[in-house]
Amino acid sequence: MHHADLTADVAEILVSEAQIQAKVAELGGRLSADYAGRELTLVSVLKGSLPFMADLMRAISIPVTIDLMEVSSYGGAATESSGLVRILKDLSSSIDGRDVLIVEDIIDTGLTLNYLVRYLTGKAPRTLRICTLLDKPARRLVEIEIDYRGFEIPDQFVVGYGLDYGELYRNLPYIGVLRPEVYGGT
Amino acid sequence: MTKTDLERPPAPSFAHASEAELARILDYYQVEWRYEPRTFPILFNLDGAVVESFSPDFYLPEFDLYVELTTLKQSLVRKKNRKLRRLRELYPDVRIKLFYARDFKALLLKYGRFELAASLSGEEGQARPMEAPSVIEDGAPVDHLTEAGPSSDVAPPTGGAEPVAPTRASPTATPGPIRQGRSRRSRRRRSRAAAAVA
Repeated sequence: MHHADLTADVAEILVSEAQIQAKVAELGGRLSADYAGRELTLVSVLKGSLPFMADLMRAISIPVTIDLMEVSSYGGAATESSGLVRILKDLSSSIDGRDVLIVEDIIDTGLTLNYLVRYLTGKAPRTLRICTLLDKPARRLVEIEIDYRGFEIPDQFVVGYGLDYGELYRNLPYIGVLRPEVYGGT
Repeated sequence: MTKTDLERPPAPSFAHASEAELARILDYYQVEWRYEPRTFPILFNLDGAVVESFSPDFYLPEFDLYVELTTLKQSLVRKKNRKLRRLRELYPDVRIKLFYARDFKALLLKYGRFELAASLSGEEGQARPMEAPSVIEDGAPVDHLTEAGPSSDVAPPTGGAEPVAPTRASPTATPGPIRQGRSRRSRRRRSRAAAAVA
């Protein structure tokens, strides 16, 4: 059960707002340099990566276009109906021949991202690379080549800056560790 | 029942609910897997006979990766860690990922599998969120976060600067789940037989 004041459910701040903004600026600078002279398409994976996407695109100085995708998650409502992962929201525009960057909030098992990479590769982009704000390698199940990474974090239940628990906490401006009593942990 | 269902071989007899759940998760994300497809001899007597072997729980062909789930009992975790070290010594080219029970429980919580996560309760199975490093103050050095660099023991990132053409899995290479395996009982029989030979 969460508090009315969501900050009370946060045991500690793992990555502060200032650290996030500094990292976003750094990543934006690297992307601008690496893709200089090109036009980059940022593909945000809903819903968690929205704040990161919004900040990152403004930290990039080269021309960018954006698109949004949403993929069903294991354990969600879609699990029982199909038994297989599926695209809940597809790209709005073609990425054929384009430089594409998948923008993720967090990568843990790599399962969703692995599926997404296979799916997007089939749409024949010129290049396809991955940028994630957070990387939680302790839970990695499948190998994923991460091209741009913000922070590697320990295996903790984190919320904020787009990351949710029960659809809440996304609006916290920092990455915080959720108190275990909130999600039934110990 | 779909055509795909008809084509699938029957699911193996999993030793633990967590293994069955991992198989379901892999199926959901269309990651091909095999259950205990290979037994690695890891200890021999002076005559060269096998006295101990190790069969990782899962093999993911697409990633040429073995995955082993740990149990919740610390004594068994220690034993498994020892086996894993031995396997890595003898088979340095074999890539294997040890997935600790606390990590798996945390994963189940993420997926909303609260009931199964609760069944994995026990000191060694906790997600242990309070083991976290201390609170970071605004602007303080990120001493307990590792910034971009090699991370996973199975996924060394390259992080090249120049954009490159995609070289990852082919979009057509998404075979349905492959369920192969044998029961733990048969594996134990073989281990006993190996020990008897010794």
